Amino acid sequence: MDFIVAGFLKAIELLIRFDPSTWTAVSATLKVSTFSMVISLATGLPCGFVLGYFNFKWKRSLRTVLDTLLALPTVTVGLLVYALISSQGPLGEFHLLFTLTGIAIGQTILAFPIVTAITASIVENIDPELKLTLVSLGAGKKNIIATCLWEVRYGILAAAVTAYGRVLTEVGISMMVGGNIKYHTRTITTAIALETNKGLFADGIALGIVLLGIAFAVNLSLSFLRKQ
Amino acid sequence: MASTAYELSQIQHYYNDKKVLDIDRLKILQSSITGLSGPNGSGKSTLLKIMAFAMKPSFGQVKFKGHKEFPFSPRIRSRISLLTQKPYLLKRTIFENISYGLKIRKDLDNLENRVKNSLETVGLDFQGFAQRKWHELSGGEAQRVSMAARLILKPEVLLLDEPVASVDNKSASLIRKASLAARDEWGCTLVIASHDLQWLYECSDTRISMARGKIFSTGTENIIPPPYDLSLKNQPVKALDKGEHILLPLTDKKDSTAVIQTEKIFISNEKNNSREFNNQATGVILSMLLEKSSNHIMTTIQVGDFPLNLSFSPGKAAELGLQPGKKIILMFRSKDIEWR
Repeated sequence: MDFIVAGFLKAIELLIRFDPSTWTAVSATLKVSTFSMVISLATGLPCGFVLGYFNFKWKRSLRTVLDTLLALPTVTVGLLVYALISSQGPLGEFHLLFTLTGIAIGQTILAFPIVTAITASIVENIDPELKLTLVSLGAGKKNIIATCLWEVRYGILAAAVTAYGRVLTEVGISMMVGGNIKYHTRTITTAIALETNKGLFADGIALGIVLLGIAFAVNLSLSFLRKQ
Repeated sequence: MASTAYELSQIQHYYNDKKVLDIDRLKILQSSITGLSGPNGSGKSTLLKIMAFAMKPSFGQVKFKGHKEFPFSPRIRSRISLLTQKPYLLKRTIFENISYGLKIRKDLDNLENRVKNSLETVGLDFQGFAQRKWHELSGGEAQRVSMAARLILKPEVLLLDEPVASVDNKSASLIRKASLAARDEWGCTLVIASHDLQWLYECSDTRISMARGKIFSTGTENIIPPPYDLSLKNQPVKALDKGEHILLPLTDKKDSTAVIQTEKIFISNEKNNSREFNNQATGVILSMLLEKSSNHIMTTIQVGDFPLNLSFSPGKAAELGLQPGKKIILMFRSKDIEWR
């Protein structure tokens, strides 16, 4: 039990004195997660809206595939992205293996189904009276889409938080595609795994505190937005 | 002569395989008030949605002011507005809800004053309500805000679908008053679907009944609504209360509705032994309303589970001693009933 307390105290010390290995992992995590969230929201929101709002052939099948992808194992995504961007893969010429961009691509693949599926469910459950009301007030198609998305903004924020949580805490993609290179592609989660294996609990706990801190900050800002 | 606002022809609408609307022809004049009555599921809401161009009928065409129109056509946007029984309030302040239509039109002149006037039309105070959130209203207030959001647009047509069905008396009265003011102030065409027959008789120029997706003109004809017992091959019947029934003519058309011309129904204070009328049904007078247009008394008589509407001159009503609650006998021939 003592080693956990000692580790916790050392963790605070590492954070306060801006330990470079700790803070480069934090920085790498923020970079890849931000990139993957921006891309997955930019693509997932419109796709989710289309899937939830319109009726078309294969809609049900598409939803089933998407819902299955919600349980996508991160190591499977890691394996897929590794195969694509390794020197033998079709995207090998871009030299993305063991880079932050490579990790971000993998995390985008992880977050996209979450954003899309949750948005589709939310849009599907929009009160049918909303569209009728908007048409009655003279709204055109673009106004209807924008207003519908705005009406379900809290649900979409929940989708974003869920996806961000998954991206922030994944290990498989970062480890396989990033290679856990110190000061380069080491993220918070891969660093925790490594430091714990080495018996360096303080470093692991320090990074764990930061991870929780980021999650808390994200939720706090969303809660603030909600109140606005 | 007033010009035509709507002209619907050969309209049919299906939900999956079920036909819910079947209107051969319907014309509605500009600046008129049309009252639409009929049981739940008779097709009133579907008809209003089609007239609001919120949906396209499966078949047929809808002309608005002489032009064939479709949902989202720029010619009809903001000119026609529909208020439903439980309208949706946007998750915003009341001010933003009311000004939404004007904002998307980019018509922002004097916005605050217009919202204020609109709120006052439905009896809500600007100071007390404008900055409230959508969830801080009672059901009646929410309905009045929805009405204000439509009135601010000064639409050429206002379609009201059971607008006072689930609100308190004060809200209902303010909504009724505001809708009539829309016709008086800018010649708004009103189509009102309601179970409040008294309101419809008081205010409407034309009344239409609906049953099974079909329209019938109230006053000149009455619907004998389903269900019918068609199992007796030689004599279909409509069962009433206490063992009474209406004998119907033979039909081979499924899903058709029995209709009888009002002039073919006679009333008496007691049953008649003559064989002239093979249908003699007991009815109870539910209400008697003075019709605005004819100065006749529109009398609603409950027969079994459905109402019949008959019109009498004040003299005739007095002669028969008609009054609400009185039991009377309705007499008519089965051969005068048509299947449509």
